[in-house]
Amino acid sequence: MVDETATVETLNKSRQLLVVGRNIERVDSLDKLLGKPIYTMDILPENSLHLKVVRSTQPHAILKRVDISKARAYPGVVAVVTARDIPGINESTALLPDKPLLANQIVRFVGEPIAAIASYDTAIAEEAVDLVQVDYDPLPAVFSPTDAMKPNAPKLHPDGNIAKHMKLRKGNIEEGFKQADLIVEETYKSQFQEPVPLEPEAGFVIPEPDGSVTCVGSIQSPFHVQTGIAKILSLRPEQVRVIQAATGGAFGPKSDEMPVDILGIAALVATKTRKPAALAYTREESMIAHTKRHPFVTSLKAGVKKDGKLTAWQATLIAETGAYASLGPLVIIRACFHATGPYEIPHVSTDAYCVYTNNTMAGSFRGFGGPQAHFPAESHMDVIAKKLDMDPLDLRVLNMLRPGSLTATSQVVDEGCGLEECVKRATAEANWYRKRAEFSKMKRSKRRGLGIALMYHGNSLGPEGSDYASVHMQIDREGTIHFRTGMTEYGTGASSGLIQIAAETMHLPVECFKLEPPDTDYCDDTGPTVASRTITIGGRAAQMVAGNLHQKLKEVAGGMLGSSAGEVESENGNYFVRGSPDRSVSYRDVVRSAHDQGAELKEDGRFNAPKCEYDPETSQGTTYLQYTYGAVTAEVEVDTDTGQVTILRMVTAYDIGKVINPLNLEGQIEGGTVQGIGYALMEELVHKDGVVVNPNLADYYIPTSLDIPEIKTIIVEYPGRLGPYGAKAIGEPPIVLPAPAIINAIDNAIGVRLTEIPATPDRVLMEFKNQRK
Amino acid sequence: MYVPENLTDLLEYLDSHQAGVQLIANGSDLINRIQRRQVNAKMLVDLSGLSEFNYVKKEGSTIRIGALTTISGLVASPIIDSRHEVFREVAAKFGGPSIRNMATVGGNIAAASSSEDLLPVLLVLDAQVKLKSKLGERVLPLEDFLRGKRVTDLRANEILVETMFQELDAQSACAFEKLGMRNSLIIAFVSSAVYLKLGKTKRIEDVRIAFNRVGGRIPERAMNTEQKLRGKVLAKELVEDAIASLRNELRLSSDFRVSGEYRSEVACVLFKRALDRCLEKLTGENLG
Amino acid sequence: MAKHLLKFNVNGKDHALVVESHERLLDVLRDRLGLKGTKEGCSTGDCGICAVLMDGKLVNSCLIFAIQARNKKIETVEALGTAENLHPVQRAFNKWNASQCGFCIPAMLLASKNLLDHNPSPTDNEIKEATSGILCRCTGYLKIFEAVRDAAAEMRGVGTNGRRNRDG
Repeated sequence: MVDETATVETLNKSRQLLVVGRNIERVDSLDKLLGKPIYTMDILPENSLHLKVVRSTQPHAILKRVDISKARAYPGVVAVVTARDIPGINESTALLPDKPLLANQIVRFVGEPIAAIASYDTAIAEEAVDLVQVDYDPLPAVFSPTDAMKPNAPKLHPDGNIAKHMKLRKGNIEEGFKQADLIVEETYKSQFQEPVPLEPEAGFVIPEPDGSVTCVGSIQSPFHVQTGIAKILSLRPEQVRVIQAATGGAFGPKSDEMPVDILGIAALVATKTRKPAALAYTREESMIAHTKRHPFVTSLKAGVKKDGKLTAWQATLIAETGAYASLGPLVIIRACFHATGPYEIPHVSTDAYCVYTNNTMAGSFRGFGGPQAHFPAESHMDVIAKKLDMDPLDLRVLNMLRPGSLTATSQVVDEGCGLEECVKRATAEANWYRKRAEFSKMKRSKRRGLGIALMYHGNSLGPEGSDYASVHMQIDREGTIHFRTGMTEYGTGASSGLIQIAAETMHLPVECFKLEPPDTDYCDDTGPTVASRTITIGGRAAQMVAGNLHQKLKEVAGGMLGSSAGEVESENGNYFVRGSPDRSVSYRDVVRSAHDQGAELKEDGRFNAPKCEYDPETSQGTTYLQYTYGAVTAEVEVDTDTGQVTILRMVTAYDIGKVINPLNLEGQIEGGTVQGIGYALMEELVHKDGVVVNPNLADYYIPTSLDIPEIKTIIVEYPGRLGPYGAKAIGEPPIVLPAPAIINAIDNAIGVRLTEIPATPDRVLMEFKNQRK
Repeated sequence: MYVPENLTDLLEYLDSHQAGVQLIANGSDLINRIQRRQVNAKMLVDLSGLSEFNYVKKEGSTIRIGALTTISGLVASPIIDSRHEVFREVAAKFGGPSIRNMATVGGNIAAASSSEDLLPVLLVLDAQVKLKSKLGERVLPLEDFLRGKRVTDLRANEILVETMFQELDAQSACAFEKLGMRNSLIIAFVSSAVYLKLGKTKRIEDVRIAFNRVGGRIPERAMNTEQKLRGKVLAKELVEDAIASLRNELRLSSDFRVSGEYRSEVACVLFKRALDRCLEKLTGENLG
Repeated sequence: MAKHLLKFNVNGKDHALVVESHERLLDVLRDRLGLKGTKEGCSTGDCGICAVLMDGKLVNSCLIFAIQARNKKIETVEALGTAENLHPVQRAFNKWNASQCGFCIPAMLLASKNLLDHNPSPTDNEIKEATSGILCRCTGYLKIFEAVRDAAAEMRGVGTNGRRNRDG
C-alpha cells in the first residue's frame, strides 16, 4: 500500500519526472478541434421541450399575483411552471438559504425568475412570456451598498442588508498608528465585472421511468447541482444523476446558483410533462441572471515609518453582493485575509462587509476577492511610496513576505515562498530602474510608464469549506485506464494535468488513459471545481489512487515474475524484478493476466486536505495550506490627448510550486492576464435603477486580439506542502494583478492616480486634465 | 420574406406592397429582433441576390459605388486607390473581418445612425444617393436623404441603388479618425471625417468636417466651424480658433459609456488629427 | 412568402431544403444539417463565434438568413479534417494547446485557414487582424497566434519544430 502520509518531497525524489512538466497535448483537444457535438446544446434529446423564463421587471416588489392562464392557453404552449409547482424546497442557492428557485412572494432584482414556459417551439415559448400577467406592489429599492447600510434603508432580507461581516485583528491597530511616522489614507472603487463565458448557460433534464432524473449541463460542480435538484424535486440525491457536458468557459458563475436555476426549472417541467426539457440562456439573459464579480469600495489607512517599514494597515471593504448573497460571504473572507497584499505588517485591522442591494447578483468569478483586495492594496503601496519619495519597488521589497514572515492572519510563511524570486526576475526582465528613469524624462503627448504589483493567493478552499476530491480508476481488458472524477474541465486544462499526474505515478504513457465525463452515477463527491483546486486537491487524489493501482499492477507482475511486489520496478510499460531488467512482462500482459485471474484492476479513493484552523473573530490562524505568489509589471503608453492606454508589454512571474504542463500553465496565465486587462481598462457591467444597461457583447467590452500586449511569463518553482509534486494553484492568480500594475504604470506615465477602475479613456483624460488645473 | 430574382420584379413588388416592408441586405441588427418575433419576417425583402448593385465604378471624375458593395469589396477595388485611402481607414476600424464581409455601403447609409462609419466620410465627400422605383429614379444629396436616427427620405416603393461623389484630386484629401474602447469590434465614442482642398500658399479652398454626432443623433457636418476655416490660410492658430468654434458647435450627450464632456474633448482631437493627415497627404508636412 | 427552397453547397455536398423566412444560416447548419460544430455565442453578431466561410469569405452565420445563402458554398469546421487526417491548422492548435474551452475554436480555425489560403506568409499583425472579430475569453489569444504561425510554416512546406518540448 502506498503510504498515504508520504510527503511531497519523498514523491519528488523517487525518480526523474517523465510526464509531469512536459507539454503533453490536452486530452480534450481533438474533439474540440474537429467540431464534434459535445456541448449541451449539441446533444439535446429528440423532441425536447424548450423553455423560456419569465423574469421580474421590478427591482424590489411584492408579487401580488402571477396569472399564467393566458400563457398556458396559448397554442403550442405545453406547460407553464411557477413556484407552486415545486414539490420540494423552493431554493436555489450557493451558500445561504436566501434565494428561491422561482420567486414566490417577493422579487429582489430585475431579471429574477418568476415562471417558465415550455413549448416544442422556442419562438412560441418566447411569445407566451409576454402573456404571463404579473402584478407587483413596488417596494423601495436600494442600488448602492452605502445606501443599503444606512439605518433607515429598506430591509432586503429578514436579517438585514449585511449578509456577512468578516473581521481580522492582528496586533493593536492604534499602537501601530502610534509607531508610524506617516499615515496615508485613500478610498478605492472597483466595478461589476461580467465573466462572459463564451458558451451561455444551458442544461436539459430527462425524466426517467423510475422517477429519477438525468441532468446534463454546462456546469462546474455536478454534486452541488445534484444536492440542489434533489431538494427542489423532493428526491434522494441518488435519484438525481448529473452529467457535465463539454463546457464552453465557466470562470465562476457555472458553479454558483445558475446551473441549479437552469436544471431546477428544466427538472420541474420534465417531471411535470414527462418529457425532456431544455433551457438555454440567451447572452442577454446570461449577463443579467448569472453571478458577476463583486464591486468593492475599499478604504485603506496605512501607517508607515520614514524608512518605509509598514507599521499598521486598516482596511474597510464593502462588497456589493446584489439581490442574493451567492458566495459573497466567502468572497469577503478571502478579500479580508488578503487585504494587506503580500506584506508583513505587525498591526492589521480589517472589516469586510457583504451587502445586499437590488442590483443583479455578484458571486464567484475567478479570483474570488483576490482582485478586489489587491487593486486597492497594491495601488496604496504606490501612493505610500510617492509620499515617502521612495521607489515603489524598494518599498515592496522592504516589506514583502519571506520565509519566516507572519501574514495578516499570523500564519508563518514557510520555505515554499518564491515571492522574492518572482520580484527579482520580473523586474530584471522588465528593466525596472532603467526604464522608469528613461520614462520620467519623456515629455510627449504619448507618455510611457512602468508599474508593478505583487500578490499572494491562499490555495484551494482554505476556510471556505471542506477540501476533498475523489478519483476512480479502472483498467479494462485492453489496457485502457478509465479515469473518473467529479472535477470538471471547462478550459483550464487541469483535467489533462490530472491524467499527467496519474501517468507519472504509474510510469505509463498518457495515451493509456481515458478521461470520462464527470457523472454523479460513476464518481463520488469531489466538491466543486473552483478555487483553482483541481491540481492541488484533485491531483493529490489522482496521485493516491494511481499509486494504489500501480501497486496492484506490480503485485500481478510480481506473481508473473515469481517475485513479490516490493521487488518489482517498472519503466515505460514494462515490469521487471529489480536488478534483472531483461526479464520483463509488458503492461498489456499484466492487465490480461489480471483479467484472466478475475482480479479487478480498480481503485478509488478520496483525498481530504487537512482542515484550516483560525479564530473566526480575529481571522488569526492557518487560513490556507499553501500560497501562490506573483509579481507582475506593466509597461504602458498613455495618449494624453484622448486618455487611451495602450499596454506595450507585461511581465508575469508566478511561484506555482511545480509546473505540471508548461504550455497549459502559460495558457492559463495568458488568459487570466487578458481578463485582468479587461478588468483594468474596459469592462464594466452598468446598472441603472436596477436594470442592466449593457447586457450584450457590443456594449460590454472584453479584449479582442488587437488589444493584447506581449506577455512574458516567468515560472518560479518553490514547492508547496499541499499539491502533488508541490504544485500550487494557478487558475485564478493571473487575473489578480494586471489592474493594479496598469494603474500604477499610468501614474508613472502621467502622474495621475486613478482610484477607480476601469481606467476608461474618459476617466484617464478627465483626471489628467483636472490634475493639471 | 420576399426574394426577388431581378430589379424589375423587386420594384413592382415594392410598388404594390407599400406598408411595412423591410429591406435587408444581410440582416444585421434586424435579425435578432426577427428571431424574437418582434419584427415579422414575412415583411422582409432580401436584396442580397441583386448582384448588379455590387460594383465600384469611375465615370469621368465621378466615383459610383453600388449599394450592395460590401466594405471588404469596396477597399479591394482598384478604384479605391491611395488617394482614396480614407475608405481603408474606415475599414480598418469597421467591426471585424466577418462584419466587413457582410456589411454593405447601402446598408450603412440606410441605417442612418451614428454607428455607421461610412456616413461621416460620405458626408464630407459631398456624396449623393440614387434611389430607384418603378416610376423612375431620383438623386439627392446624402445629407438631405438622412432625416434622423433610422429615418431617411426613402419612399416605400424605392430602393437605394448607388452612392456617388467626385473623386479626390491633387489638391484635395480626406481622412477619417475613430475612437472607442478597444481596437476591434469598436462602437465609436467619436468618429470624425475631414475633407480638405488646398490652394496655393495653403489657402483653404474648401473644408468639410463631419462627426458621428454633432448636435443630433445622426452623423452631420459641423457647418459653422467649416465657415470659420473656408478661404483662410491653414495655420496652427487658425486651427486653434476652429477648435474653439467646434467646442461651441458640438452638443454631445453623455451615456453609460462616456461623458459628453469627454466626447467633445476627443472630437476636437480627432478633428485636428484628421485635418493634419489631410495636410500630410497633400503636402507631406503637418501642422506641428 | 414564409417558406423557401434553399439550394446550396455545404462542405462539398449539395443540399436542397425547404426553409422558413426567419431561419438563420446558423440554425440550418446546426438543426437541419446536424452540423453542430458551428456555435452560438451571443445572437447579435458581436462575438464572431458563429463564423463560417461563405464563398471563401468569413461571415457570421447568425447574421445571415438561410435563404440568403442560396447558391453559395459554405464551409464549416467539420470540413477541415478528420482525426486521421487533420488540417495543418488543427494539428498546430493541438500541438500548442491553443484550444481551452473550445467554444471559439471552430471560428478561430476557419479564420486561420482562410487567412493562410489567401496569405501563406502572414505577418504577426495580419494574424491578429484575421482573428480580430472573434472573441476568446480563455486563451488570451497568444497560443492561437503561435499555432497559426506554425500552421503557416507547415503549409509552406518549411516544416515545424516538431512537438514543442520544454527541454529542447
